[in-house]
Amino acid sequence: MSFGMGFSSPTQTQIYDARSGKWVSYDPSQAREYFQRYGQTPEEFQRRIVPFRTAEKPGTIVIDADRHFLYYILPDFQAIRYGIGVGREGFGWAGIVHVGRKAEWPTWTPPKDMIERDPRLTKYANGMPGGIDNPLGARALYLYEKNRDSLYRIHGTNEPWTIGLNLSSGCIRMNNDDVIDLYNRVTRGAKVIVLMTGASLFKGV
Amino acid sequence: MIRFGSVVAVAIGLVVSLAAAGQSVSARADEIVIGVPSWSSANATAHVLETILEDRFGVDVVLKETSNAEIFAGMDDGTIQIHPEVWLPNYKALHDEYVLRRKSVVMSPRGVPASQGICVTQATYDGDGIHTIQDLADPEKAKVFDTNGDGRGEIWIGAPGWNSTKVEQIRAHDYGYDKTMQLLQAEETVGLAAVDAAVATGKPMAFYCYEPHHVFELHDLVYLDEPAHDPRKWQIVDAEADGDWLEKSKAGVAWPPSFLHIFYAKALEESQPEIASFLKSVNLDVDTVSQMTYALVVERRDPAEFAREWVDGHGERISGWIEDAD
Repeated sequence: MSFGMGFSSPTQTQIYDARSGKWVSYDPSQAREYFQRYGQTPEEFQRRIVPFRTAEKPGTIVIDADRHFLYYILPDFQAIRYGIGVGREGFGWAGIVHVGRKAEWPTWTPPKDMIERDPRLTKYANGMPGGIDNPLGARALYLYEKNRDSLYRIHGTNEPWTIGLNLSSGCIRMNNDDVIDLYNRVTRGAKVIVLMTGASLFKGV
Repeated sequence: MIRFGSVVAVAIGLVVSLAAAGQSVSARADEIVIGVPSWSSANATAHVLETILEDRFGVDVVLKETSNAEIFAGMDDGTIQIHPEVWLPNYKALHDEYVLRRKSVVMSPRGVPASQGICVTQATYDGDGIHTIQDLADPEKAKVFDTNGDGRGEIWIGAPGWNSTKVEQIRAHDYGYDKTMQLLQAEETVGLAAVDAAVATGKPMAFYCYEPHHVFELHDLVYLDEPAHDPRKWQIVDAEADGDWLEKSKAGVAWPPSFLHIFYAKALEESQPEIASFLKSVNLDVDTVSQMTYALVVERRDPAEFAREWVDGHGERISGWIEDAD
């Protein structure tokens, strides 16, 4: 698992522009520009309560990487919808996992291959302390399959303009405010359903 | 719903090995064991039958969660007396083995009509002009289901291991939409959550569907039109038995009419004839089974509590079944 910050979008997000009434491409340069101009992600990706009819229990998380939404199921067919950024690794699987561990201001340890590519990361070989510059952001939810760490995480980011994008790396990333909000709601053991998004997912978890 | 695939061989093997070992474990004479397979409508029916049998016939009932194949094997060897919900034609192989060949199991004649096919959300039907199953084979129309930018759509055809999933592969091949759509298999929970998310965002979605099922109570769904079932155009070659099963099979028409039946051990006709007669006269319907399933799955009612309430609220209907019994 790597958490490099490069941009290379395997598929482009589209967002709905309410003013023009059209779906428009949402790519990294536009995302940066949008964030610089408005200081926030497009309305589409801002946290909100939405209708969500499902048989899943309140407290379950549903990740729709295709639309860049994460749903936290509430009672009475409602859900909190958060915008997410999705790493390319996040497109490698679909299935059911659970929150096995939670951490505040988590430590990030760059993988070996990333250190080889960028020797400046050597100093973090034993872990980069949590903090505002840490790629995992303010909180991390570690996703487990049965009792094993799947190596996938839902985590915060210090690059909020990446919400709504498919990135070259990373797992499921959220604005720090949003990941703190989610962290405070989610209990350990909560079920996480990662939806089918494209053919590559069906190679299995 | 776990559909029957290659498990008949396992079931038959189990029976043979038990017989060879001289093992035959019988339930207590005054105890009825209902096998409960993994899907929710069967669970609901099992609890309702349990409550009725205890109330009206004064027997002790045990519910045993196990696989389809093991329930049939259990009805054969005397360890299980009732299967609350067998899907036909999906489990025809088990029916043929135990009802027709071994004659150790009886199918109750009153089936609940069931349906299966490919569904889309109402928004997909109305907004994207996807009306027939043949539309999926149209490359331009299939593109509306594309989520990964490769120009082909994606469709959930069921869970790995379901009998119906193999059949849906054959149908996609026969109709030709295996060339325009990526056929996706995933656990039912994932497939159904994808339907929930698609409805929430208006995203086009096509998927294998069957009813009675609570998803039809949750969402507005539409079966895609397709030619009526024609037995001459429906030939399913067992994937386990023949490597060329996909090429040799045919299923380019609608599924045959499907039914849910209660099955029970033939031995019950000797040991508890009044219960065997009652099981023959139980007359459920698709709305009842759907509502039961919805209560258990969506409303998360306790199955035993729900069954008690349902039985108490339908006393006359249940009395009618008992009076109808031989």
